[in-house]
Amino acid sequence: MTFLLFVVIALGGGVALATQSSINGRLGDAAGVLETAWLTFVLGAAISFLLYFFFEPPHAMTLFTAPKWQLIGALFGVVYILVSVFAVPRVGIAAATVAVITGQLSMSLLIDHFGWLNNAEIPLSPARYLSIALLAGSMALIYLGNRRKA
Amino acid sequence: MGQIAILLLVVVSGMGLSVEAGLLGPLGEDVGHMAATLSIFLVGALLLSVALVFAPRRSLSNLMAQPRWLLTGGILGPVYVIVLTLATPVIGVGITMVGILCGQVAASLVIDHFGLFGTPRRQMDRYRLSALALILVALGILHS
Repeated sequence: MTFLLFVVIALGGGVALATQSSINGRLGDAAGVLETAWLTFVLGAAISFLLYFFFEPPHAMTLFTAPKWQLIGALFGVVYILVSVFAVPRVGIAAATVAVITGQLSMSLLIDHFGWLNNAEIPLSPARYLSIALLAGSMALIYLGNRRKA
Repeated sequence: MGQIAILLLVVVSGMGLSVEAGLLGPLGEDVGHMAATLSIFLVGALLLSVALVFAPRRSLSNLMAQPRWLLTGGILGPVYVIVLTLATPVIGVGITMVGILCGQVAASLVIDHFGLFGTPRRQMDRYRLSALALILVALGILHS
């Protein structure tokens, strides 16, 4: 039950992400890639600060005492937002989405496989290789479809 | 820039996104999920603020002149990161990603098809249907 609930929550997160990429791509076209990424992070910081301030129960560790290497995730987030704002108007949201998930999946399977970054170790199986290949194939299909229409 | 180059760029940035997710999970356990989310946006906002000051061309007034609904992208960002930080410790990075990408793919095909949010329409066709089929098979394999 908890499992299913979190899968549904993850689905909702995906819808939010596609919506954000699409809106951001449009904004990036009109107002600039860097400006759009900046706005995304400033608004995001404002909202997450409010959430943190009002809803976070106390923890033994804080951001200031946590190991600094754990905080570098933001760098990847910044690069991703910059790239997606640039790419979405040029290739469409579906192609961009399939491309980003191909990257996400390859890397998340590697992280699981090696248990990098203090995550649980889940060995890489042939099925997981196959699923990455299938995703790459679907990216190629959307690309071909785009090119035929262009 | 060619479509293929752009797509490869997106693939690489997607790999980074998984690293971010892998970092956020354990960090959220230590300092709290909201705090972990805050760290992403705060550090990102500060870095981009510095970048903006030194950018050769920039126009915040142009940004603020856009219709309000175009400025809401940043509101959805925390939703996504909160989902990541909540779900990864419970169901693992891999399955969290599968769930998120299902939602993403479905939503993005719909957005393209109807040209939502003022984007150019890219309708469903045989290529896109086949791509969807491949993705579903990939997810089925991952889950089994």
